[in-house]
Amino acid sequence: MLLFRSEEHIERWCRSWNLPRGATLTLDQGWRLAQAWYGPDRRMPDWRRKTVDEAEELFEELYLKGEFWRLR
Amino acid sequence: MQDYESLDRRVRACVYDIALQRGYPPKMAETAEILNIPVENVYGAFERLASGRVLVLQPESGEILMANPFSAVPTPFVVETGLYSCYGNCIWDALGVVAMLQTDARIHTSCADCGSAAELSIVSGKVSGDLGVIHFAIPARLWWQDIVFT
Repeated sequence: MLLFRSEEHIERWCRSWNLPRGATLTLDQGWRLAQAWYGPDRRMPDWRRKTVDEAEELFEELYLKGEFWRLR
Repeated sequence: MQDYESLDRRVRACVYDIALQRGYPPKMAETAEILNIPVENVYGAFERLASGRVLVLQPESGEILMANPFSAVPTPFVVETGLYSCYGNCIWDALGVVAMLQTDARIHTSCADCGSAAELSIVSGKVSGDLGVIHFAIPARLWWQDIVFT
């Protein structure tokens, strides 16, 4: 997951690496995703990775929708 | 028979405790010393935590490469807080370090295409900075096929 100056820079980078265009997030979306993903304290005994359902639900809540964000 | 679940929980807690204190995860020997257990037990716990996608290990040494969001090695995503500067594995993880620490911070990175410097600020829970767009190149279901590239 990389940061780019603009959409135009993403297009150019994808062409250079011969990769299809992926998904883009605004800084605010990225920050909210980071807060939700890394918020739960990983030192706690009851911490566990999110299930597929929980992760997909989180993506939906952050308006990250479509095939790209499916986990199965 | 050893209680692996309990051991793995202790190792995970230790790894993140140290990473949060100083910005990068401990090595095997250090973890063993802190927990007062044989280094072989830590090796096994690291392996199991990596299988469970909690840690990412360096292929040769078996030491931690990523205790997400923290990186054990330098990356282009420098997180500067009042406590220390450290490395995130990607821009999401750099933001994740700040989210875990719940503090104000600056992230120093660059445009992945042209290399121009970019700085983000997180102050009082709000992110701002140079014009920027985050790009996820790999679809979510494929992230762990090659997490280092992802």
